[in-house]
Amino acid sequence: MKWHFITLVSITAIIFALVFATGKGSVTDRLKPRLGLDLQGGTSITLEAKLLNGKLPQADQMEQARNIIASRVDASGVAEPEVVIEGDRNIVVNIAGEQKTETLKELVAPAELRFRQVIQTQPDVTEAEVKATPSPTPSASASPGATPSPSATPSANASASSAPSSTPSASATPSGSASPSASASPSATPSGSASPGATPSASPPVNPDAAKAREEALAKAKSEVGDTAWQMAQAFVADPSQFQDEAKKIQLYDTLKPFSKLKGDQVAALSLEMQFLVPNITCQQLINRPPGSVADPNQKIVACDKDVDEKTKKVSYNKYVLDNAKVLGTDVSSANFGYDKGWKVSMAFNSAGQSKWTDLTKLAYNSGQNAGKPEQRVAIVLDNEVVSAPAIQTVITGDAEITGSFTRDEVSTLSAQLRFGSLPLTFEIQQADTISPTLGGEQLRAGLLAAGIGMLLVIIYAFFYYRLLGTVIFLSLVMSGILVFGMLVFLGRQIGFTLTLAGIAGFIVSLGVAADSFVIYFERLKDEIREGRSPRSAVPRAWARAKRTIISANAISLLAAVVLYLVAVGTVKGFAFALGLATLLDLVVVFLFRHPLMAAFASTKAFLSPRVSGLGRVLQRDPAADASRSTNPKEA
Amino acid sequence: MSGHGLATRLYRGDAGLDIIGKRKVWFSVALAVLVLAALSFGLKGFTAGIDFTGGSKFKVPASVGSVSEFQKATEDAVKAVDPKGTVSAVQKVRSLTGGEGHYEIRTSKLKTADNTFKVKQALAEKFKIDPGKVSDSQVSGAWGDQVTKKALLGLAIFLVLVIGYLVIRFEWKMAIASVASLLLDLVLTATVYILVGFEVTPSTVVGFLTILGFALYDVVVVFDKVQENTHGILGKTRQTYAEAANLAVNQTLMRSINTGLVALLPVGGLLFIGAGLLGAGTLKDLGLVLFIGMGVAVYSSIFFATPVLVALKEMDPRFKAHKERVLAKRASVVKQRAEARAAAEKAGEEYSEDGDTPATVSMAGAYTAPRPGQRPEGRPGKQRKR
Repeated sequence: MKWHFITLVSITAIIFALVFATGKGSVTDRLKPRLGLDLQGGTSITLEAKLLNGKLPQADQMEQARNIIASRVDASGVAEPEVVIEGDRNIVVNIAGEQKTETLKELVAPAELRFRQVIQTQPDVTEAEVKATPSPTPSASASPGATPSPSATPSANASASSAPSSTPSASATPSGSASPSASASPSATPSGSASPGATPSASPPVNPDAAKAREEALAKAKSEVGDTAWQMAQAFVADPSQFQDEAKKIQLYDTLKPFSKLKGDQVAALSLEMQFLVPNITCQQLINRPPGSVADPNQKIVACDKDVDEKTKKVSYNKYVLDNAKVLGTDVSSANFGYDKGWKVSMAFNSAGQSKWTDLTKLAYNSGQNAGKPEQRVAIVLDNEVVSAPAIQTVITGDAEITGSFTRDEVSTLSAQLRFGSLPLTFEIQQADTISPTLGGEQLRAGLLAAGIGMLLVIIYAFFYYRLLGTVIFLSLVMSGILVFGMLVFLGRQIGFTLTLAGIAGFIVSLGVAADSFVIYFERLKDEIREGRSPRSAVPRAWARAKRTIISANAISLLAAVVLYLVAVGTVKGFAFALGLATLLDLVVVFLFRHPLMAAFASTKAFLSPRVSGLGRVLQRDPAADASRSTNPKEA
Repeated sequence: MSGHGLATRLYRGDAGLDIIGKRKVWFSVALAVLVLAALSFGLKGFTAGIDFTGGSKFKVPASVGSVSEFQKATEDAVKAVDPKGTVSAVQKVRSLTGGEGHYEIRTSKLKTADNTFKVKQALAEKFKIDPGKVSDSQVSGAWGDQVTKKALLGLAIFLVLVIGYLVIRFEWKMAIASVASLLLDLVLTATVYILVGFEVTPSTVVGFLTILGFALYDVVVVFDKVQENTHGILGKTRQTYAEAANLAVNQTLMRSINTGLVALLPVGGLLFIGAGLLGAGTLKDLGLVLFIGMGVAVYSSIFFATPVLVALKEMDPRFKAHKERVLAKRASVVKQRAEARAAAEKAGEEYSEDGDTPATVSMAGAYTAPRPGQRPEGRPGKQRKR
């Protein structure tokens, strides 16, 4: 029996070690469960749908957006946020606890995922860089398409594959992980430097209203930058080679300065060549283009990625010209995140998506065969940003992975965004407020008091009915309580499990229900003793039978929990999680605690006495009946 | 046996209550409940809460007074235009950038713009502020259709799987009886909920899901015993299926009572403190559903599930024939014994190996009420088999 207790103690120790290890602050802080919106208040964010041509968004689109946002906030279904549509165009999201603004911004990201082959790339430059660097390789500057800046901006994972182009076959990763390899392909200044004229300018948008808006923005951009700058930009874009030498470059930069003041929508209205080539248009401006600017899969686009140097923490950007999107977010069937030398998101495609993805990697692989051309790379574009642009080193027939210098929160959000799809509307955060709890501390105390009284009655009843064996119930309730509490604190931190008042009530009830496995066991024991067994032999027999009943009954609870967790969303999902957790912990307590404790009791001499268990009472019968009974078990 | 009270007999699993024999009574009770349920569903129906229907949201500056004052004022104002109207708890909202903040409250649907206006007016008057400072907007429910749809889908899948499990673990008749009892449980709880007139909130739904698991759990425990007692029963002529099932129910009766008490005591605490003292939503909704649901689950596992199972079994010709065989044999034993008794006039045979006394047979009509003396004899056959 010893190993039972050892296992139990280890489980408890591990849970609480995790609780303390993941927590911060004092001991009491570390032991704090994450309370729900009703008990601790939280953050309220109002999202406003951007109007399209003055029309209100349709109700069903709002509902769809609401569902997606609710899923994004609460991918595991245990955080119990409150997401409601307010009026015609607002969605209000209430989340328990204080939330970081960055996290909240992710909520409203449209999350349009596109896979696009890279056509050209160049680093984003700052004024200081333009003027300070006595351009080391004059020839390089001629071809903006592949100019390696001094700080060659290796993508964060460049180390993963040191020789980007030389060994395409070497890393035939069967899982098809597209590890981003050295974004700087320094050797490969593609000759002819992808003359920008070759990239057809953005085809006109389909929506006439949008086209009109675009024209207006373009006109505004023109007047904003002024004639001189505009004409120079046009001349530069038409033939970048004339601005090769150092002095001209600086002159160009100074003249084009007004471009750096353009707003997102104005930048979006410019031609591709301008967006890409004009050095004054920074990646920040490109990222700030309105949501959905580069979502059209049938257009070539300009987008930026962001690199953080692992050592210096220096942030740098690269501009990309990207081909039409061949694979879209809708081709992704599932997305999950994991850790392997860094946080990453892995995606599986649906069948149509899979063949598109394979075709795209084939295309990239073939065009990149001549030593690390930019065309070998496929950019994964989320909204306006390139998340990563791995060089394709083999034709990938499996899943795709997004790697980069991510944090856990980022990959978790990203995978939630991919899994739950893109928003049908674009939203802006209108305001973020803190909200008070709806239930005061006295309500929580009253609720706990109620439950406490209830549990006390249970314990009194247990002692009345089971005599000293009531101790087993009492101790196992305490044990369950400790385990449940530890898990709640731990899960609150890990997956955002929040405890609402209803949740607390539910767990207390589940403790009561869990005591039932003891009742079953005890009644079985009574049966066995009634048949004349000694306690020592009755306990294992009763256990064998009770175990069967307990397992069948708990199997049903587990089945309910698993099915509902997988199928349902929102509150019901959260409930299923709690049910599953309570059932599993109940089984742990029954097998590792209650039974061994009972067995230990059974080996005491006083076990049958009225004071200890009252079990002897079943033997108080008519002497005649006893006489006839005592013979039976021996026959068995 | 007369020396022992019911409590002691219950304790020993010897209560000898004839539950299965009176199954017509239980079925009538179930039928009455269904009629009542149909009436209450038809005439009254559920009152869906704000979380489902959505409603209006009112905001006032926090300077008007305390949270409870605002809560009370809104409640009064809403009740004035719609006696059935309800309000949520007030939330105090403060901008992250600072400022004094405001109160927000959600109310049930106010139907007309006029009603909304009246509530605004009432609030403005009450707190002596400009009506322009009371803002209102329409809000949707937090519980979307998606949640309901997916939950129902999950339930359907669960029921199919659980029936499959019960068919494998027990047999299909037990599976049907379990699910029938579950449905009765849910319907009865829903009826009580409707009649009490509480609003349906997310807590209510969670409560229903909880009793779903509990009810099946309870039935499984009883059926486990029934299965044990009726193992290989067709090969013997000692008991009919109904009697064996009745015995199982009696044996698990104490377990059922204990389980019921242990589960209901904390729930009762929640319900009475929640509804009685606090009057607040969450606890009373959950408490009521759980209290009724668990109580009914214990009842229906005994008085409905097992009788349904026996009724199903007795439709089976093999069990019908078996019952007749058992009764025929018993009659002949009684006859023999009566003859023997008449001949020998001996009283000491009461506890002979075959167990049943003539008195018992007549007492419970066609069935033998399980008596203390009966069980040990009913068991050895099974024990030997192991």
